[in-house]
Amino acid sequence: MTVSNVLLVHAYLDGELNAAQALEIERQIAVDPTLAAERARVEALRTAIQDHFPREPAPPNLVRRIEAAISARQATRRLDTASHPSWRALAASVVLTAFLASSSTWLLLTPGSTETVADVVVANHLRALMATQPIDIASSERHTVKPWFNGRIPQAPRVVDLSRQEFPLLGGRIDVIGRVPVPTLVYQRRKHLISLSAVPSGTFANMASVPRAIAGYNIVSWTDGDTVYWAVSDVAASDLDTFVKDFRSAS
Amino acid sequence: MDRVSSDGDRARFETLVLPYLADAYTLAGWLAGNRSDAEDIVQEGCLRAFQGFGAFANGNPRAWLLAIVRNTACSWLGKNRSSDLVLVDDLVAVEQKQAARCGNRGSVTPETELIAKADASKLQAAITELPLAFREALVLRDVQGLDYREIAEVTRVPVGTVMSRLSRARQKLVSAIATDER
Repeated sequence: MTVSNVLLVHAYLDGELNAAQALEIERQIAVDPTLAAERARVEALRTAIQDHFPREPAPPNLVRRIEAAISARQATRRLDTASHPSWRALAASVVLTAFLASSSTWLLLTPGSTETVADVVVANHLRALMATQPIDIASSERHTVKPWFNGRIPQAPRVVDLSRQEFPLLGGRIDVIGRVPVPTLVYQRRKHLISLSAVPSGTFANMASVPRAIAGYNIVSWTDGDTVYWAVSDVAASDLDTFVKDFRSAS
Repeated sequence: MDRVSSDGDRARFETLVLPYLADAYTLAGWLAGNRSDAEDIVQEGCLRAFQGFGAFANGNPRAWLLAIVRNTACSWLGKNRSSDLVLVDDLVAVEQKQAARCGNRGSVTPETELIAKADASKLQAAITELPLAFREALVLRDVQGLDYREIAEVTRVPVGTVMSRLSRARQKLVSAIATDER
């Protein structure tokens, strides 16, 4: 028995030999007990591995995490190329200070700013999905969520109970758009989350056209009184429309 | 148009590459040794793959993704547990001794019975203790079913090296299980 014959036994069992080589090694195995023993061990080992470690699908939460991470990467890339300031720059207080000093208006992100607001709203949603907790205050009780906002931002959002419409409330968080902290409610639809940000109207430039989706995430924006709402989710567009309808008609 | 091309890229990436997420997760799990690290490695690897997807032409998407995830795992292990990264050269002497011993086995092998009796946790422990270079070859072949050429592509070594690492890995595994039992 030579070392190369042992390797050939492995290669043979792995289906890596051509017909002539396979015949030759079979002949060798037949006459060499050590090669036969090697074959028996490799086969036993392979059977044991296949029995004990069958192929498993990737965990669903990992699939979601990766899709969200890719979307976030895309959204960031888009913002970087589409307009300045990028949302990362927006997050940097130095830039914000420069903003405050140089601009006389609150309305700016940039020309064509609607898209940027939409992008930031989607990016906020994605960041929340990737965090361990998508919410800062976890409560399905609207009388808990609303007061939580009251202590933190000038205007608490309208919080409605949509559990009977199968959009249970999970809680809320504070997002930042531009330099404005905005309340965001998080509702659930089956396994999916819906982020609903409430921005005081006039904070950003008027929305000429809001994209219906960015990076696979559906977006619905509407104005109600002096608040502009932004709903973002990976639920189907029709589900998101239902959510918006239910939210608007709820008391 | 950056937007159009990147959305198109994404669709292509999702069709071609994401079906192999389970493979990536399995490999990362065996390399990292636990699930939560494996998830982080796969996420980072997939982002790297997505970033570099423009450079991927028409090769084997499974091997391509696994190569990236493997590299991610190696740099991750290098950062977090450098003691795991034993150089293969260091092992050659040990290997030669073991190979000599392997040659003396008889035809009646209680090892095959011991292997068949070994439970999942024992087998897993034995695989986990293999040096990285052997472990990855074994997992790619015997758990994941890649052929030698694909393993060579993933681990960036010649096919001949894959072949010898694989047989060594199996022999080490067999003797670990057998020694344990005695």
